[in-house]
Amino acid sequence: MNTPSSPSAPAPEHRLPPGFALHASGADGSQEYFLNMGPQHPSTHGVLKLVVRLDGETVVEVVPHLGFIHRAIEKMGESETYVQYLHLTDRMDYLSSHINNLGVCMAIEKAMGIGVPERGEYIRVMVSELQRIQSHLLWWGAFGMDLGAVTAFLYGFKEREKITALFEDLCGARLTMNYFRPGGSNADVPENFIPRVLEIVEEMKFTLDEFNALLSANPITISRTQGVGALSRERAISYGCSGPVARASGVNFDVRRHAPYSIYDRFEFDVPLGQNGDCYDRYRVRMEEMRQSVRILEQAAASFPEGPHRAKEKPVYKLPAGSYFSSVETARGMFGTYIVSDGGLKPYRIKSRSPNLSNLAPIAEMAAGGKIADLVAILSTLDIIVPDIDR
Amino acid sequence: MIDKSAEFSLPPGLVPPQSGLLQPVDWIVGWARANSLWPLVFGTSCCAIEMMATGASDNDWARFGLEVARASPRQADLIILAGTITEKMGSRLVTLHEQMPGPKYVIAMGACTISGGPFYYDNYSVVKGADRLIPVDVYIPGCPPRPEALLYGVMQLQKLIRAGGWRNSIVHRPVNVSPITDPMAETLKEWEVIEAKKQEEMKEAKERFKLENPDYKGVVIKRIVAPKYDEVAPTPRPERGLAQAEIFANLSERFPSLRVHALPEKSAEKVADNVAEVATETSVEKPIETVTEKITAMGREYVLDVAVEPADYLPLIRHLRDDTDLQLDYLIELTAIDWKDRYDVVVHLLSTDKGHKVFVRCALPHVEAPEIESLSSLFAGANWHEREAYDFFGIRFTGHPDLRRLFLEDDFPGHPLRKDFEYPERVVKRPY
Amino acid sequence: MIDLTVTHPIGDRIREVLPPLPAALANGALAVASLALLVTVMAILLVWLERKVCARFQARLGPTRVGPFGLLQPIADALKLLMKENLRPTATDMVAYYLAPLLPITGSFLVLTVIPFDHNLQVANPGAGVVFVIAASGLGILGTLIGGWGSNNKYALLGSMRSGAQLFSYELSMVLCMLLVVMAAGSASLREIVLSQQGTVLDWWIFKLPGAGFAAFLLFLISSTAELNRGPLDLSEAEQELTGGFHTEYAGMSFSMFFLAEFVNMFAAAALGSTFFLGGFLAPQIGVHAVDAVLSFVPGVIWFGLKSGFLIFLYMWFRWTFPRLRIDHLLALEWKFLLPVSMGNLLLGATLVTFGLLLP
Repeated sequence: MNTPSSPSAPAPEHRLPPGFALHASGADGSQEYFLNMGPQHPSTHGVLKLVVRLDGETVVEVVPHLGFIHRAIEKMGESETYVQYLHLTDRMDYLSSHINNLGVCMAIEKAMGIGVPERGEYIRVMVSELQRIQSHLLWWGAFGMDLGAVTAFLYGFKEREKITALFEDLCGARLTMNYFRPGGSNADVPENFIPRVLEIVEEMKFTLDEFNALLSANPITISRTQGVGALSRERAISYGCSGPVARASGVNFDVRRHAPYSIYDRFEFDVPLGQNGDCYDRYRVRMEEMRQSVRILEQAAASFPEGPHRAKEKPVYKLPAGSYFSSVETARGMFGTYIVSDGGLKPYRIKSRSPNLSNLAPIAEMAAGGKIADLVAILSTLDIIVPDIDR
Repeated sequence: MIDKSAEFSLPPGLVPPQSGLLQPVDWIVGWARANSLWPLVFGTSCCAIEMMATGASDNDWARFGLEVARASPRQADLIILAGTITEKMGSRLVTLHEQMPGPKYVIAMGACTISGGPFYYDNYSVVKGADRLIPVDVYIPGCPPRPEALLYGVMQLQKLIRAGGWRNSIVHRPVNVSPITDPMAETLKEWEVIEAKKQEEMKEAKERFKLENPDYKGVVIKRIVAPKYDEVAPTPRPERGLAQAEIFANLSERFPSLRVHALPEKSAEKVADNVAEVATETSVEKPIETVTEKITAMGREYVLDVAVEPADYLPLIRHLRDDTDLQLDYLIELTAIDWKDRYDVVVHLLSTDKGHKVFVRCALPHVEAPEIESLSSLFAGANWHEREAYDFFGIRFTGHPDLRRLFLEDDFPGHPLRKDFEYPERVVKRPY
Repeated sequence: MIDLTVTHPIGDRIREVLPPLPAALANGALAVASLALLVTVMAILLVWLERKVCARFQARLGPTRVGPFGLLQPIADALKLLMKENLRPTATDMVAYYLAPLLPITGSFLVLTVIPFDHNLQVANPGAGVVFVIAASGLGILGTLIGGWGSNNKYALLGSMRSGAQLFSYELSMVLCMLLVVMAAGSASLREIVLSQQGTVLDWWIFKLPGAGFAAFLLFLISSTAELNRGPLDLSEAEQELTGGFHTEYAGMSFSMFFLAEFVNMFAAAALGSTFFLGGFLAPQIGVHAVDAVLSFVPGVIWFGLKSGFLIFLYMWFRWTFPRLRIDHLLALEWKFLLPVSMGNLLLGATLVTFGLLLP
């Protein structure tokens, strides 16, 4: 949204836009002004609005405004059954829809004491990891584009499309999957699932090397990201950051490792950690995570068992009164599902803990003092999905 | 010269192409406009990913001349409404549409932009069809539509443009102003009538059939039997870190008024089992009474859920964070529950080092503006969680540096996640 | 009176038939008309080429639906832009808003007037052609500055301020690279510069000055990319940061002037590059008589087109490969690296010329 108004000295203190710290400005003759980035802006990844206080090109302060895609999912959840709520989680973080589904299913399973057969658990892990790779591929492309390398965007999508095709064979959808159910998944995998996964795995190894050659070692990429938007370990924890954003700051926290769900405790994988918490570390952590996901996929494909893919289906899911919490590691961090049940067919209150909300929170700290271009790089490496923030 | 293959009639309001000498002009202008649709970079949610996939190598909308996506509405010809439009975004969308120079076209991509889609019922924020805000030319159903569907939609739009002639740039089409109804209830009503009629007709038909075929004995219907799946016992997933009983012991020392919230019913059985075991081992008959023992009996899967008085709320959380044994340094989430007679503020904490969790809840009176102390001095992340709770439940957090609504418009009436929230202008209740 | 006359069969014939003043006018009109045609055709061709090249880099097809290989795509775009509503936001400065789009395309048009496309194919041949080129290309900078200011939009202003800082800086090292060639060729006339490279391929200034020539060519490539406002140095547009930069508020025809100017500019820069470093319209002779005879048979204008086309392809390659620089890095690159290096390179070139250390 481009509001036509000429740059001028900042408004007096009492007329600062909401959210800005009320420290004196303009008194020293600085030419500060406010710039609206979004909700319609190419680099805000959706409809996020940032009001930026600028001194020339330098960012003084950033105030994010949320809610432009607030879709009342939690309110709707109160009038839908538990299984119906699954389709709403697809649409929150649509790049991790499988994993979001899994989170809700796990909360229901926990409440009702439902187990998952061996094959079902393997499907869950493999599909989750494929989803993680798919999401990171899209992120890589979007990262390239935000930095101005548009070609990277197309390459990311090209590789992603292979996994999307596999998901389509798996559940019929390309994006909003709705595949997992309490007790397993709603359908068994197609016959050639394992060969296709292995094919993707082999291609991924090559692709990742190629991607590294194109962008990772590029001096421009490094100069745009190294030392930019640093977030210390303490601040990352205090803000409740999770996923690659927290791990890049050195927080050794991965739900798959720290509260292993499904059968993640059976597989060997490393949790890549960064030291500086800058954009470059976040970039490297995600690149390494894709390799780790490939490792998990290889191990799972090697021991993929026969058997039923799901446990007996309940006609209705009626959770005993009480509150239940489950957490999973999506491509962006810790996705929590908190269900409060009064014993009825529908949740009394259902809350989804979105990793993106907490990951975006430190943006004001990270961007202050940088340039506008840094703000774009930071937003890109935070890898936010705005509908997941707004829910 | 006009494209005759268009198998649709012109929508109302569109000018038909001219005949005679100016016909070639119409054709050329229509051709140019149809083949040079520069879309605005506009995507709000899931459909945007499929829109990008349409631009990606596998589908490549550049074949249709669409790849010149413009970030500035001034240079765009086409808005592809990729994703849900909310009321808050609606005014911005209208501005964007107004900022575009004519002729301008709109494609509504996906169920949300057509009608609100999955977000039609019980929803206070989603616009029920983007055509209530701006005129839409082509609707593409799907949730989200596949890239092929978007390409097909673009081709339909091209046909529409070619069939329209050059004067259509000045036509202002109206937006949808029909009242917001409850289509599901209406359909159900209609369905009832149809169903009754069907039953009647079936009855007649059956009688007629019996009269006509007195020897008919019926057929054997083979049903496809769905595979049966067995029930599977859940795998225990013990919580990591300190034992919950240990945590509770630590807490109850300092906060004697602390209660454990609703230990589930089944704890009684488990406790009974434990009593039996204990009894056989130590042969001392002692009923388990202390809360600590009850918690221990719950097993390692149980996460402590303590209820705290408002006065102890902030000190307790501070203690949880700063205690060297507990180190619950990570705020997973802060939210609230409306119990109709009280509000519970729920805080979920986690120790990043050790891995244990503790859930804290604090009951507040059910008044218009319940107040509680803010955690933003303890956790930087609490700021937005508290703003969210304020937005949804109207809970005031004293000491919060910037307590504004997080998601909704500033003038939004009421707090939507309260159970008594009503907003009949926007919300259509589900008919069942 | 400075003599700018270029001998060409048609021009000479007109001069024979008409008295001097009408002849000059007629010749001028003819030259301008043909140059305008060239600019239009070039812009349309380059728009198409860019979209196709970009598509191929990105494993796509690019435009295919209109005309063979989508060749009519730019024409459809141009027609559409022509028929678009002419929209001027109310808060803009009308004079600046409408004046700005004309300047960049005028600048590159003026640059093209002194480019020798072939032995006798040049609109004018001023003795100080290089100075004229530098002066004319400054108009483009003015266009983006005025446009950004006149738009009354913060994004546009930021974009134009960026372009001001960027273009004025990079102009310096570009001029220094040109100066090297002017010094070595001993003339500031573009025609003389081309003719000074006669001989084999090794007589082109890129090779003839050992080291210095190639370095100057690379520096020229980098700084001209910045001058052209093309990726990775397209900071004044920077779509991901500034939505559209200086042309954010421009719509319809006035936007298309900026849009076309970008491509005409690219052609002008490539033409300058091939004139200065790659022997302009001269055939790439390799010293083997039989081959050279064949190569010389091809008209110079084709060689010129091929060389410029190669440079244009390089510009496109840059754009679709690299991420964008940040503004402070960009200026640091110019002032702390490119400018000192091009100055040193100029000294080195001077030494080489003075002591005659040129390739034989």
